[in-house]
Amino acid sequence: MVSRSDQLVTLDPRDEGVPNTDVLAKRPTTLDGKIIGLLSNRKPHADELLRMIADAIGERYSLKGVVEISKASHQWPAGPDILKEMAGQCDVIIHATAE
Amino acid sequence: MTQSEITSRRFQFDDWDAAQEHYLDAGMTDGLPIIPPTEQRVRAMLDHAGLAPGDVIGVESIRQKRMTAEKVAINAVMAGCKPEYLPVVVAAAAAVCEPLFNLHASSTSTNGIAILVLVSGPYANEIGMNARTGMMGNGNRANATIGRAINLLKTNFYGSTAQDMDQSTLGYPGKYSFCFAENVEVSPWPSLAVSKGFHADATTVTTFAANSPLQVSAHGGKDPEDFFSGSAHAMQGLGPSISEVLVVISPELMSYISEAGWSRERIAEFLCTKTQAPAKQWAAWHRIDQAVALQNPDATLGCVQEPGRITVVPGGGAAGAFTALIASWASSRSVTKEVQLRR
Repeated sequence: MVSRSDQLVTLDPRDEGVPNTDVLAKRPTTLDGKIIGLLSNRKPHADELLRMIADAIGERYSLKGVVEISKASHQWPAGPDILKEMAGQCDVIIHATAE
Repeated sequence: MTQSEITSRRFQFDDWDAAQEHYLDAGMTDGLPIIPPTEQRVRAMLDHAGLAPGDVIGVESIRQKRMTAEKVAINAVMAGCKPEYLPVVVAAAAAVCEPLFNLHASSTSTNGIAILVLVSGPYANEIGMNARTGMMGNGNRANATIGRAINLLKTNFYGSTAQDMDQSTLGYPGKYSFCFAENVEVSPWPSLAVSKGFHADATTVTTFAANSPLQVSAHGGKDPEDFFSGSAHAMQGLGPSISEVLVVISPELMSYISEAGWSRERIAEFLCTKTQAPAKQWAAWHRIDQAVALQNPDATLGCVQEPGRITVVPGGGAAGAFTALIASWASSRSVTKEVQLRR
């Protein structure tokens, strides 16, 4: 960068690290015959919200099943055990927060 | 090999005012003007602390943020820190990167926390920190700018920008800066640093994901059981099952505590026990869900699970009998790091 001697040159305080390069999982073309996982964060009404979503999807697709799992707390990310369990059981996972 | 060049993006401005407007408009400040972080200022700060720009201070695992000395120093310059304050800011930055602190959830929550920096040990005095009159308030550069630096770092580097990722419902003024030192001169106990197992000359930083302080008047009695009963009653107002509570005790009360021979542990034990109440009582106060309380209405709940979750520290000015109660956010735990000094 070329700057005039009378210019003020300052630095960026923000993170300039390389963003996470994780890629999205392959999306199914239909939900017919699929198992949907509902991951609740245990916030009040999160379960109700997720069930409403699952019911709405169930009216449009012929689901094979619905699996409901809750995180230990909304304050922490889902642990690797939960993620592994859901990945093994489900084709699609819906996560929701509520209050 | 650690990167020795300062690699952050550069901004060019015709004058100081233009720089101020840019940082304010881009959301890179707390709403107040900053010291423009020139390379010269940042380099001076790093050199003073013996740090290279690329030195990794901490890695926050949830958002995978790798905090370098360069970014910590830039934010410290912006906050108005002197170079000798940087080791304290660095220790605080390392502390909040620890998983137990839970920086991600605490800095996004509607609770609206600030990062509180509590400094214990001789370096606090060396850099002129205030542990006495008005120590939680304004008027001291070290307190003000160290506290500001860590909260700017949270905003700028971590991305917990006000009204965006930071979803504080109300917020409070501590989000500009919340930093003070332990007043060891009025204490009969070893410093907090020593009590946590650090060596006698150590200076430590303890960080809390802090809610706003609740000041409790404790005038009119010299018996610790009496004035801590008042504080315990006030502490119940913070709610049950708090992760941790920091209790700051003013020098006048410390003199009564010294006479009575109470230890930190005894105070923590007393407050922990005194804040116990049955679940049905917490429910009657509307502090826990009625349905939860009905499952076991006579089970007792305290403000904290155990005395070890209460940190007791002397601080403040000579006149006045007060405690201040500061609750930590939800699941966040305080984290203590030693300040690494280049001697």
